[in-house]
Amino acid sequence: MSKRKSLIKIKPKKYKDGEVVKVSFMVMHPMETGMRKDKKTKELIPAKYINSVKFNYNGKVITTMNVWESLSTNPVFTTYMKINGAGKLSVTYSDNTGEVNEKSTKIKPKG
Amino acid sequence: MLFQQNKDKQMQRREFFKQLGAVATIAAISPTISFAEEAKKQKGLNNLSYKAAVDAITGGKGAVESSKVSLKVPEIAENGAVVPVTVEVESPMTEGDYVKAIHILAAKNGNPRCIDVHLTPANGKAMFATRIKLGESQDVVTVVALSDGTFLTASQNVKVTIGGCG
Repeated sequence: MSKRKSLIKIKPKKYKDGEVVKVSFMVMHPMETGMRKDKKTKELIPAKYINSVKFNYNGKVITTMNVWESLSTNPVFTTYMKINGAGKLSVTYSDNTGEVNEKSTKIKPKG
Repeated sequence: MLFQQNKDKQMQRREFFKQLGAVATIAAISPTISFAEEAKKQKGLNNLSYKAAVDAITGGKGAVESSKVSLKVPEIAENGAVVPVTVEVESPMTEGDYVKAIHILAAKNGNPRCIDVHLTPANGKAMFATRIKLGESQDVVTVVALSDGTFLTASQNVKVTIGGCG
């Protein structure tokens, strides 16, 4: 299991309880389609793409995604989320080669 | 006279066999042609044709074009490898009435399905944005599934100057 660079951004930075905020999740991933050829060896590069992403907020799955290879390299997933108390937002993602990773941030509403 | 009849019969039999042969060869060739086409389609991983993908999402019901769905894609994409797509749906997002899923499809890509997003009322707002790859100039389509079982759709043509595959 390799460690991938990923990032969860919440906009606006300061938010209150009950507010609807924008959440974007970015991950550094090659998203190889399996159709591309290596220019030197003329061999097909094997497919490697994210096939599932799950947003989990305080133990409740709020968004699930089925993903195919047509997404760009280093994909971004942006949705909205309703703040419902302090806690943890974790994003679990897996790819077609069986690699599973998780990224999480703390949710701290003010006021 | 009798000889003549025999000869006639023989001729009929020959004709019959000729026809039979012709039919047999056609029957033998045609499935191989269709198999070859199917093999071509299934060359990529888990590829469905665009129509089959839409049918798989809507269950053959078909989707209705609606102004409630707004799809934001650049009309001209300089680089097909990174095309930003934003889908927004007007919906109250309550327990009774919310957007179940947003599907994004690229009609002419090898695998037309890009992403399925399953939303819940906890999202608060029905919006999804991502970046996709486009191999050539084509339509980008979104199919939105509502909680009452209806499907809405919106599409836009995108011109790609540099393809994003290969």
